[in-house]
Amino acid sequence: MRSRYSYLVFLLACVFIFSSEAQQISDVDIDRIKRSTVFIMQVSSENLSVTCVGTGILVRYDGLIATNAHHVVQSERCPGDTLIIALSVDNDEPSVPRYRASIIQANVGLDLALLQITQQFDGRIIERDSLQALPFVELADSDLVEIDETITVIGYPDFGNSPVTEVRGTISAFIGEPSGGDRSWLKIRTSDASILPGTMSGGGAFDREGRLVGLMTSAPTPPDPDSGNCTTVEDTNADGFINSLDRCIPIGDFISVLRPSDVIRPLLRSASLGLTLELLTSPRFQVSGESSTPEITNLFFSPSVVNGQPTTVLQRVPAGAESLYLFFDYSGMTPETVYEVRVTIDGLPNQTFSLPPVRWSGGTSGLWYIGSGNQTRPNGRYEYRVFVDGLLAATASVVVGGPAEDAPQFSNITFGLLDEQGNLTGSGYVLPTGNIARASFIHRNLEPGTVWTQIWSLDGRPIPEARISAPWQDTGDINTETIPLQAVGGLLPGRYRLELYIDDFLSALGEFIVAGSQAGPLARVFSNVEFRQADSPLSDPTVSPARTYPDGVNTLYIYFDWEQIAPGTLWTLEWAVDGTVFYRQTSPWNAVETGEDFTMRLSAPGGLPDGTYTVSLLINDILLASEEVTVGIGQLPIDRFAQAQGIQLRGQIVDAETGLGIEGATFLLISEDYSVADFTWRRDQLYALAITDRNGRFEIDRPLQFDSPYSVLIEVEGYLPIAADGYEITAETLAEIGGSPIEMLIPLVRD
Amino acid sequence: MLRIDSNRPTYLALRQRWAHYLTVFVALSLIIGGLALRSQIQSAVTRYVDTRIGIEAAYPANWLIETNVDDVAFRVRNMALAGYKSNIQITVRPVSGETTERNIGDQLALERSLVLTDYRVISVEDFDLNGQRAQAITYTYASQESSPFLQGIPIVVEGLDILLIQREQAIVITFRAQAESFESERHYFDRFLQNLEF
Repeated sequence: MRSRYSYLVFLLACVFIFSSEAQQISDVDIDRIKRSTVFIMQVSSENLSVTCVGTGILVRYDGLIATNAHHVVQSERCPGDTLIIALSVDNDEPSVPRYRASIIQANVGLDLALLQITQQFDGRIIERDSLQALPFVELADSDLVEIDETITVIGYPDFGNSPVTEVRGTISAFIGEPSGGDRSWLKIRTSDASILPGTMSGGGAFDREGRLVGLMTSAPTPPDPDSGNCTTVEDTNADGFINSLDRCIPIGDFISVLRPSDVIRPLLRSASLGLTLELLTSPRFQVSGESSTPEITNLFFSPSVVNGQPTTVLQRVPAGAESLYLFFDYSGMTPETVYEVRVTIDGLPNQTFSLPPVRWSGGTSGLWYIGSGNQTRPNGRYEYRVFVDGLLAATASVVVGGPAEDAPQFSNITFGLLDEQGNLTGSGYVLPTGNIARASFIHRNLEPGTVWTQIWSLDGRPIPEARISAPWQDTGDINTETIPLQAVGGLLPGRYRLELYIDDFLSALGEFIVAGSQAGPLARVFSNVEFRQADSPLSDPTVSPARTYPDGVNTLYIYFDWEQIAPGTLWTLEWAVDGTVFYRQTSPWNAVETGEDFTMRLSAPGGLPDGTYTVSLLINDILLASEEVTVGIGQLPIDRFAQAQGIQLRGQIVDAETGLGIEGATFLLISEDYSVADFTWRRDQLYALAITDRNGRFEIDRPLQFDSPYSVLIEVEGYLPIAADGYEITAETLAEIGGSPIEMLIPLVRD
Repeated sequence: MLRIDSNRPTYLALRQRWAHYLTVFVALSLIIGGLALRSQIQSAVTRYVDTRIGIEAAYPANWLIETNVDDVAFRVRNMALAGYKSNIQITVRPVSGETTERNIGDQLALERSLVLTDYRVISVEDFDLNGQRAQAITYTYASQESSPFLQGIPIVVEGLDILLIQREQAIVITFRAQAESFESERHYFDRFLQNLEF
């Protein structure tokens, strides 16, 4: 009876007030996204001065923040040791410092970092699970983003004086690199041609559904007051004046690119599961570049990329070409190196194909490419200028236009071994050690007698005896040719390259790795992958390996053997849980050439989450070994807080007589599985719980889902309680009342 | 002709008198019944049994219950209260044979000083928990539990821990309430302790 009466009171009492912002941008839940966007201040604890600033975005309810690494990871540019997180409490006002955070994942090269809120602003530690659920955003599939798609970018436009700002824009181009494939970078263009300042770096770009498409990224700038990208706001040397002698805060370059969400996802997955992976086999070699000075050499163009390698080398690009990639050799590069590619077409700067200054995400030395596909290029003379740390390092140019020529050409080099039938077999890019390797390639329009040259090299050094220059002879094969590389004493492990020239012009280039022993057509490089359990990261693993473990296992040790891998060879370690990659790292091999029991340790503080874990070992993107281990039921548990999207509910509970807010009132939103009558005051029966502040205001910290019949119970001492079943919001009713967030005004009658 | 003399005393009929007595009796009965019912509602309890850690308790009805959250085995909160929600909780932690209640109290003080604002221990005393020796620690701190997006003002909270060691585990029974209403709410905790079995 009380419930029915209260239901009527509840319905009569609720007054819906609608957000004007939500009406303006009805296709994006802009209020939630703005609240999810945080202002980050890196602070020196020594003198409490701000050393770097940037924007970040909450990507989980428990305080996980995605941002750029360059303004949070301690460095010469950003020497602070404390990270302060300011929230947009009121989206029309500047942010308010609320928390401190720690870095839990960082990739300096990719310029990505994940922070975890760990302390209150005053330094008190936040106990696990005691942080109130915070608004956050979900990641979009950045592979589905299209050119000219509308996005909204959100970040803080200055040092924190202004509220969080939104800017409409579009995706203008994709830029490919080895670090992330054809969508390593998403180029953006603002609709009003406004400039996105460097303080927005680390902020998000969102699609129409309010999902994170990518992270705005700009290169860090040096703390030099004369650079124009650095501002002095504090008397850091305590001399009583604020001048050029004080440390300034670098604000970064203007932003025009995004790191796509698919690059962020593995970091987010491992961080959200609390997984820590450690490589325990001690490095035996310090692998470094031959030169400490960054160098860019051997620039050339290719129309496409296969397995990270050029298909052919172009001297001229026909009109209507949709793909073009600049390749070059690099050395002496580090994750802190900033590189930039400026493209001009007939002397005019072209923003679409240029890459602004960004952190280097490759290794120390090797072959690199930058370019894009599926984007028609206007005719003209393209000049690419590569800058390293602000200095011009190399240039290359190519002409796009004219008809496709029937010029002699080599292309599509792959490598392998010959089987008994004389066919080339193998992975194409990783060969076992042995006496002979073969390269197969396609040739076109070569006239007999044309001089061509093959040059083989090992780890950057030419193999003199393998250099052959001769007139082309028509073998009668249909446009394919196979050539051998035979080394006295056998092929040593290492990185090999074949360059094919026609009349002294480079026409094709391919690389392969020699490692491991021969096992059929493939190289056996990694073997005997085993998993063993331990009670904690500090205790010894069990003796016998297994493939299945019960839930609650705290630590897994993983072992594998390896054969004949040259130090410095790039190899890739990839981990996935339930098919989703949470760790992928390509690094130079730094153990001895052959050995047993390379050891890794996978752990999580509260035990490894149930799931099927897969470890994969690759070289040159060729999968060489992979094994699975099952923990618990073999499937990740469902996270009931994982959904970011839905209807935001907030409001005010007031005294019906005075209209004043009631402090400390409890708003209980009962899960759709229970009615008020069924509710037995168990916490797990609640969908959400909120308590009003000094003004009687409350916020439900989880978004409500459509078409779910919630029950509501409002209680506070001295007032008649309100109870109601069947509080349900449909898409239609939400549209009628103006969209999310829903604001409620609930008067309570004194008892 | 019948005359009514207003100065003459009026005598009620027997039936009328009994009607008056009955009315008074019913009124008193209703008042007493109402008070009893109110008292019953206020003192109504819900039973809770946790075989995992071996406790059986009766907590006030309509307090919100949470179980097995981190190291808290049991927690109930009075959600009807305005301001800070008085709560009772039980935490269990493993101990060695040489650990004393005092050691546990010191551990709690160290941990809480990092987590709670202005945490202060007021007193440490011996306590008789249903015939068992225990230790009572009284403390205060400032609570700031509201959403970061709302305007919360810290509330001074008073807490009481009852520590005892049993079966190689330390049991910490805690009562917390707003400092101003700590004593008036204390009876909930006292009754909880009386009914606690482990």
